[in-house]
Amino acid sequence: MAKNKVFVGLYGSGKTEIAMNFAIKSKVNGMQVTIADVDVTASYFRVREFKDMLEKKGIRVLTPAEQFMRADLPLIDASVMGYLQNPNYLVVLDVGGDEKGSIVLGSLREYLSDADVYFVVNVRRPFCETPEKICGHIERIQRAASIKVNYLINNSNLASQTTVDVVREGEEIVKEVSRMMSIPVAFNVVAEPLDYRGEFETFKIERYLIGKEEPF
Amino acid sequence: MKKIMMKGTEAIGEAAIMAGCRNFFGYPITPQNELTEYMARRLPEVGGCFLQAESEVAAVNMIYGAASVGKRAMTSTSSPGFSLMQEGISYIACAQLPAVFVNIVRGGPGLGDIQPSQGDYFQATKGGGHGDYRLIVLAPSTVQEAVTLTELAFELADKYRNPALVLADGLLGQMMEPVEIEEKQVSYDNSSWALTGAKDRPPRKVTSFNIDPYELEKMNLKLQEKYRKMEQEEPRWEEFQTEDADVLLVAYGTVGRICKSVVRMAREAGLKVGLFRPITLYPYPYKPLEELAKHVSLILTVEMSSGQMLEDVKLAALRLTRIEFYGRMAGVVPTPGEIFDHLMHLIGRR
Repeated sequence: MAKNKVFVGLYGSGKTEIAMNFAIKSKVNGMQVTIADVDVTASYFRVREFKDMLEKKGIRVLTPAEQFMRADLPLIDASVMGYLQNPNYLVVLDVGGDEKGSIVLGSLREYLSDADVYFVVNVRRPFCETPEKICGHIERIQRAASIKVNYLINNSNLASQTTVDVVREGEEIVKEVSRMMSIPVAFNVVAEPLDYRGEFETFKIERYLIGKEEPF
Repeated sequence: MKKIMMKGTEAIGEAAIMAGCRNFFGYPITPQNELTEYMARRLPEVGGCFLQAESEVAAVNMIYGAASVGKRAMTSTSSPGFSLMQEGISYIACAQLPAVFVNIVRGGPGLGDIQPSQGDYFQATKGGGHGDYRLIVLAPSTVQEAVTLTELAFELADKYRNPALVLADGLLGQMMEPVEIEEKQVSYDNSSWALTGAKDRPPRKVTSFNIDPYELEKMNLKLQEKYRKMEQEEPRWEEFQTEDADVLLVAYGTVGRICKSVVRMAREAGLKVGLFRPITLYPYPYKPLEELAKHVSLILTVEMSSGQMLEDVKLAALRLTRIEFYGRMAGVVPTPGEIFDHLMHLIGRR
């Protein structure tokens, strides 16, 4: 496994949720963890909104400087490059959605030699209903970001209305994508309290952004 | 259609397509870009037309053109962009054309910020552009309701030949929830007015202009007649735990939803608190609010603005009960806790 972890995918596929959970889990396993918010497309619901929570868990959070954090500007903190090369830190990169968001990886390319790239899929999101469409998205994003996707993640969900059938349906479609693209599936994402065991490993997460019955 | 996860902006786009909209002209602005982007990707799939205009001023005039030839057309923007569209909206209203607008409101005034706000209430409900016209204004509080109200916007726009606006704050635009969107067959008879070529019939004109003041006044009276009819027939609202309420919260959109949580907190504390949530902001549901006001000792209006809807609450309930206000501005979203604390303070419990 590579030192750094990069999460890409379409808008709203669950990259941020999974990246935060991945960082938290890695920290619990005793590693030094940094999560870098390099999302230059989303206007709300980004890692930077959860900075305090993550820092309390001992995770270093890299965001644009405080005074620019809410600016509608594509900013990436310069220290990201340093951490990507620092052998003592596992770096989780939360990338913006679609090829527009992924394009920032081009600028980080020379620091990404030791990184696993995960493509996150929620088949219950628009434009993701068939394996063919998902393959098209992977190809577009690989081209825009000058990267190769190493693993697929099945994050098929309907927030608090997710059932095992939704995860299973996603697993089937992602499996087909895996076959068509020759990219292995890393895991199925299952949020507490749902229990699902499928063909692939289960990655249990807590949802911070969505999935609460009532958001307020 | 299967249940899927959608952002408010995306759901509004899909609902428009399901309501038969095939023409979208828009210009990017945060926090509604996902809607223009969704339409850019989706409309070609259904044989529709997406065009990125060179500005909001251009976009609104493209809507004017498409509507005048009888096509269902929509645009979306956020606050400063909506300001730029006002002249065109006034023209469309005067020319009696159906069209649907979406304003995903952000913090203002001025360039403001990109956080959610309700600061465009006056602009949406009291004119915005010049002249004596009204917009039908619909305010969803969930992503699923954004779907229903977008479809309704097309229906009402056609029924009254008047522009309709879906008014949502940035939070609702960006928030993702599971939704179901069904195709909605909306009957649409534009055969008496649309510009479809004058072969075998007398030519028609679509205009917002008459040089004769008496004739222009006639046009105005026709509009006013429509507005009175809307005021009679179209007010919509939701009541939540109002049956035995002694205190009434009044809030719309996302804040309406936040206030539902406040009602639950208050009920747990043994207080008889209910919520009145206007769904149509124009025509405003004055009458049902007036009725409720007669039975409560306090109305607390809550907004993400400085007390704009408060003026309509006062029109409905002034002198019937005590009316108070709590608001946050500029993109700050109030929490249920702070609204609850303010309520406790008002009723002397803190």
